[in-house]
Amino acid sequence: MIQARALVKRYGTFTAVDGIDLHIRPGEIYGFLGPNGAGKTSTILMLLGITRPTSGEVFLFGERYTPSRLDLRRRIGVVPEKHPRGVWPWMTAEEYLRFFAELFAIPRPQERIDSLLKKVDLHGFRNKRIRELSRGMLQKLSFTRAILHDPDVLLLDEPISGLDPLGIQQVRDLIVSENRDGRSIFISSHQLSEMERICHRVAIISKGKLMAEDTMENLVARLFREREIHVELEKVPHGLAALMKKLPSVLDCTVNANTLIVTVPRQGDFRRVISEFLIGQSQVPLRIQERMVSLEEAFVTITQENIGSLVSSGGGG
Amino acid sequence: MSDRARAARIIAKRQVFEALISPGLYIALVVGLFLGYFLVSGFSRAVDSSGFNPQLHPLYDLIARALEGAFGKTFVDSLFAEGPLPFAFAVSFLPAFLYIAVSSVFKFGLEKNAGAVELVAYGPADGTSYLIASYVKDLFLVLLAIIVIVAFMVAAAAFYNYVAGPELFLTALVAFFLSLALFAYGVLASMLTGNASSSLALFVGIIAFFLVVLFGSFAIVGEYVRNLSTVVASAVQWISPFFYGNLSLKANAAGDSLGFFGGLALLVVLSGVILAASHFIIRARGVRA
Repeated sequence: MIQARALVKRYGTFTAVDGIDLHIRPGEIYGFLGPNGAGKTSTILMLLGITRPTSGEVFLFGERYTPSRLDLRRRIGVVPEKHPRGVWPWMTAEEYLRFFAELFAIPRPQERIDSLLKKVDLHGFRNKRIRELSRGMLQKLSFTRAILHDPDVLLLDEPISGLDPLGIQQVRDLIVSENRDGRSIFISSHQLSEMERICHRVAIISKGKLMAEDTMENLVARLFREREIHVELEKVPHGLAALMKKLPSVLDCTVNANTLIVTVPRQGDFRRVISEFLIGQSQVPLRIQERMVSLEEAFVTITQENIGSLVSSGGGG
Repeated sequence: MSDRARAARIIAKRQVFEALISPGLYIALVVGLFLGYFLVSGFSRAVDSSGFNPQLHPLYDLIARALEGAFGKTFVDSLFAEGPLPFAFAVSFLPAFLYIAVSSVFKFGLEKNAGAVELVAYGPADGTSYLIASYVKDLFLVLLAIIVIVAFMVAAAAFYNYVAGPELFLTALVAFFLSLALFAYGVLASMLTGNASSSLALFVGIIAFFLVVLFGSFAIVGEYVRNLSTVVASAVQWISPFFYGNLSLKANAAGDSLGFFGGLALLVVLSGVILAASHFIIRARGVRA
């Protein structure tokens, strides 16, 4: 759907984007993650043809994209980070959408606008002026504009930034619902916990370089060769951790209050072995839980140093 | 119709609508028409048996003194040789032209800064669509202003028993084509600068420079200044709308129709070149504020 090859953007001597390769597949939700100033927005602007890359190529729907290919651009819907409040503040939400409906030559525009405003729960506010809308409402209006022309791909730049929890949930639901309707979605964000919930694949960018691009599962598997199993007991007897460490599959074992933290290899299910060992030691496990590695941890690991092997093995898939 | 042209038409339509519902243009037109009315009504009192005598009317006396001081008596005599209408038209047109040009340059800068150009560029439009739309809107408004002022002049001429001769219509035609090129410079100024104030400053600077170059070469100033102006004029006149406008007016005065329309055609060519330059600049610089 969207492909970038060796994309570079330099502003004078500063390299904002340094040879990025991306591939957004049909029907997926693709998270483009990175800290502030990592080069996310610069990459998006190049993908959209808003700014020209210093070098590299962008392919949209299999065709080489240049800014003059407005026919390709119209197959993308864009939700910018912030809807510019200063743009046509006197327009009502409905007038604003009607203007874009006309730009996109949408057949039966009023019908489409009404149905979308109902979908995003803004129908009651259709006669409100843009300057009167809250941040969340503006974001939903922006979202409505982006899907007005039924694009194949939705590109969202920090879509939940600055929203309250309810607004976040509403935008998240909209994203998932649009994806269920068959739209590919590209989301640039630094809100990792949200991305983890909805993205099929993620790319992590840091200092203009693509550090990793993969599914969450594969990313975590590549990053973390070990995992932790937390075993809660009534009381952890002295010496139990040392005995646990002697088990062939256990790499490490520490104690935290009444919990044993057992480190095991990533591959394999060790819960049975651990349970049997504990029962053999006359201990009753109250709870055995594998601690899931969050995207945040993966992100921190990737964006910090010591990632050379990851970059060479996994980046840019 | 291409996506770009269709987008430009829709954006222009919206911009025209916005301009027509705001009072600015109407105020500028009313001010211009008032000035025109005083000039037309006063002219009959500035004529005696020997012809046009500005000393008979305080307003014309003031105008004639100012113009004679700068450009000489011959200039003033030729200006009013065909009656008051061409001059009254020019004076009436000036506030509307200034309003349209200044508000357009300023608005383009503001909208670009606010992100409007970027927003439409997320859709089936680009910076060039916006640029064309702004230009088309300016032309539409200036055409509307010219039609209103000409109609007013014709009515005033009938009321005061003047002949609304071809001079009025030819002056209006030159004003339109001159606006064509000046608005193109307005677009260029918006493309070259980063915000509304600097766009406006650059646009005013360009216009002022061309005016100084045009009038400097025949104004009553020291010889050194006139010679310098003539040298500068010979170097930059090719990019000055006023040079081609003046060419047309001179050709008309000499009864040279080909020269008249040739001057107008050159204004169209100049406008095209400036707009093409603006297109390449916005393509290179992008639409992001």
